[in-house]
Amino acid sequence: MHFTEKSRKTIDACRFCWMCRHICPIGNATGMERNTARARALGLSMVARGVEEIGASIANVYECALCGACTKECLTAWDPILFTTEAKLEAAMAGEMPEYIVSMIENIERTGNAYGKTELCTRLSESIASLPTDAETVLFLGKNAMYRTCRQACAAIELLKKAGVSFTVLTDEPSSGWDLFFLAGGAEETRQTMKACAASLNSFKTVVAYDPNDARMFRRQFKEWGIGLNAEVKTFTEFTAELIASGKLTPKKSASVFTFQDPASLARDLEETVPAREILNACGTTLEMLMNGRDTNLAGNLLMAEYMPEAMTKVAVRRWEEAQRIGASILVTANPDDYAALETVKPEGCRLISIEEAVLECL
Amino acid sequence: MNKFLFSMILTELEDAVGIENCSTRAIDKLTHSVDYFWLSRLFVDRGEKMPEADFVVSPKDAKEVSKVLKIANYYKIPVTTWGGGGGTQGGAIPVCGGIVLDTKRMNQIFDVNTDSMYIECGAGSIYKHIENAANEKGYATMHYPSSLNCSTVGGFLAHRGIGVVSTKYGKIDDMVLQMEVVLPNGDIIETSPAPKHAAGPDLNQIFIGSEGTLGIITKAQMRIYNQPEERRFRGFLFQDMHNAFLAGKELLQKIKPSVMRLYDETETGSIIKKIVGVEKKGAFMNIAIEGIAEIVAIEEKILLETFAKYGAEDLGSEYGEKWWKEKITFFYPGHALDLPWMFGTMDSIAPFDKIEQIYWAMKNAVESNFPMARFIAHFSHWYEWGAMIYDRFIVEEPPQDPVEALRLHQQIWNCGVRAALENGGVVNDHHGVGIKLGRLMKEQYGPAMQVFEGLKKQLDPNNILNPFKLGL
Repeated sequence: MHFTEKSRKTIDACRFCWMCRHICPIGNATGMERNTARARALGLSMVARGVEEIGASIANVYECALCGACTKECLTAWDPILFTTEAKLEAAMAGEMPEYIVSMIENIERTGNAYGKTELCTRLSESIASLPTDAETVLFLGKNAMYRTCRQACAAIELLKKAGVSFTVLTDEPSSGWDLFFLAGGAEETRQTMKACAASLNSFKTVVAYDPNDARMFRRQFKEWGIGLNAEVKTFTEFTAELIASGKLTPKKSASVFTFQDPASLARDLEETVPAREILNACGTTLEMLMNGRDTNLAGNLLMAEYMPEAMTKVAVRRWEEAQRIGASILVTANPDDYAALETVKPEGCRLISIEEAVLECL
Repeated sequence: MNKFLFSMILTELEDAVGIENCSTRAIDKLTHSVDYFWLSRLFVDRGEKMPEADFVVSPKDAKEVSKVLKIANYYKIPVTTWGGGGGTQGGAIPVCGGIVLDTKRMNQIFDVNTDSMYIECGAGSIYKHIENAANEKGYATMHYPSSLNCSTVGGFLAHRGIGVVSTKYGKIDDMVLQMEVVLPNGDIIETSPAPKHAAGPDLNQIFIGSEGTLGIITKAQMRIYNQPEERRFRGFLFQDMHNAFLAGKELLQKIKPSVMRLYDETETGSIIKKIVGVEKKGAFMNIAIEGIAEIVAIEEKILLETFAKYGAEDLGSEYGEKWWKEKITFFYPGHALDLPWMFGTMDSIAPFDKIEQIYWAMKNAVESNFPMARFIAHFSHWYEWGAMIYDRFIVEEPPQDPVEALRLHQQIWNCGVRAALENGGVVNDHHGVGIKLGRLMKEQYGPAMQVFEGLKKQLDPNNILNPFKLGL
């Protein structure tokens, strides 16, 4: 197993440290000791020492959502995501990936998305077809929104239309590389996917990334790997907040009380927590969960839901419990992962909407 | 165990807790074989495997725990309870194999009861999560150990844990009202509805500290408190520890601070200097007083007057506040003691008339018998009658061979703890006994040990619960 020196040091630092246990959304939901950064590090430390084969640990590596809660929590700045993604890459190189991961990667090769879908929902197809093709701004929906939360993708398009934004959505939208990065780490295939994506987006002036996972790839991984993306990248929440601030969208303030579910990649990787609250405060008032902003708890991960659906259901149930404990009545999401997970286990009497739906209701 | 019998037992356990909550996966066995005990960490660091369980089960409630224990009793298989795995004494290591029973699925918060000021929760709840639940309602648990983020309610109870504001709010055994416990035979019992009674001995206190040898705690009611209106810190520097003890003792006859920590000159000059920034030589003492603002102001006046009598240099509030902010930072990788060093915390407790003597006896014993070892100490939990000593030894270059290292480790522990016992201390203050100190329990208790042994024999005749721990 060829971990980088930095990863080896991180593994050895994390293997006996439990200080981020309380913050892991997977571990908290499943109650399983293996679902901690410490457990993954301990397993991989035995692999690094040649005591265990990677096969003994790799399924556990895939039980991490890469949400970054442990990294954020670490007061001495160790980053368990580093060795988790390296382990995925090593497993890919060694042909030791779990079968269900191989299957998802084959789906990406065959259809361009991990779910193996070949058709968009009719409404989304029609919505995209109604847009001009020669705009300076492109709304990048991402594979999760396109194939898993079609209604919210349509709502996002509708919202930008109502704001009078001249924009398009690519009918053959490429992958940002997020899905491959999640499944295989920094493999060459991931790099090639990112390069192809950059090439198709570079003709635009502005890219509005609907899914924060894609925004994270554009803003962080593309830069880290030296893949040139000339277009300005804005998150959907950031862009929407600007539309409201500039008067292009004028929601009427209602009596609604919103509780925002910060997407982990938006709040932690991109350090963006304010625009969503500006949007919701323009539409009503907000009520915060204890774990909010950069301390947010992940509510869902669509890729993981493909191979560990029961655990991911528990993650969503737990987040609903946290919302209910503070008396939240309307939970608002800003990414497909959280929305799709929370929708499946929505408690009676609670409401779940996406942020674009919240604004549309107030126009 | 032969394959056939193994498979039979596995299916029974799966039937008890659900297939998905009963594991024989390598990763589950590995992660439950190493706790915070230095020797377990050393072994895996050297590429040696620690003893592993045959089965790892995660029951969701007392009923499922009961089913597991009935199976274990029938087949006479050891059961080791695992909470957060943050214990330092090897108490959670399944040294005889068998079943590890992980409590963390029992993590429900059933009630935040502000009428009677407690939270009822599953024993597998991470304490930080019940602190969050208290905070959401404007209250606090006031149990703030360094392992707050990682250890469970049951884990703290099983090892008689303590937090940094203990002098005002008490130890974990002061914070529990009622518990649900599953006995080794599978019977589910509840302790009395309230802890202060004359209905015989306190059942809570029989199971608190029993380290999973007498029963498995599955539910508990833990106290919550008002958030203080004000919390003020004051740092002091004493030129000798004797005066610090006199000052501390006198202060405690007048008021109850929340935080009260005295560091010896060596620890002041090393860890406190590094993390808190105290540059001066001497013994640093940090005091926090908290509660209603008007009372805090009066208590601060009493504190300053009392400590001035004993020549304490008032360092103001800055260092104390910095310590509070960094109180958990001490335990993160990079700041915490870690491999390749050998280290151990030999905490003990005694009345004031013995504690200083214990400090010097332990220091002399460790440093004179093991010249390669450094000895540092602080005194972090105080009572009207005495204080605990949190003393640590550090060996920067332990033997590479794990068995040789184990031998040296045990020799230092025997030497240090025996020095404490000979001078009126106890085997441990708040980390427990585990497998690390079991042999020394008999030396402390002598014939009194038969009380524990009698309980064990009556409750667990097949000796299935956590064998070789607590000296039982």
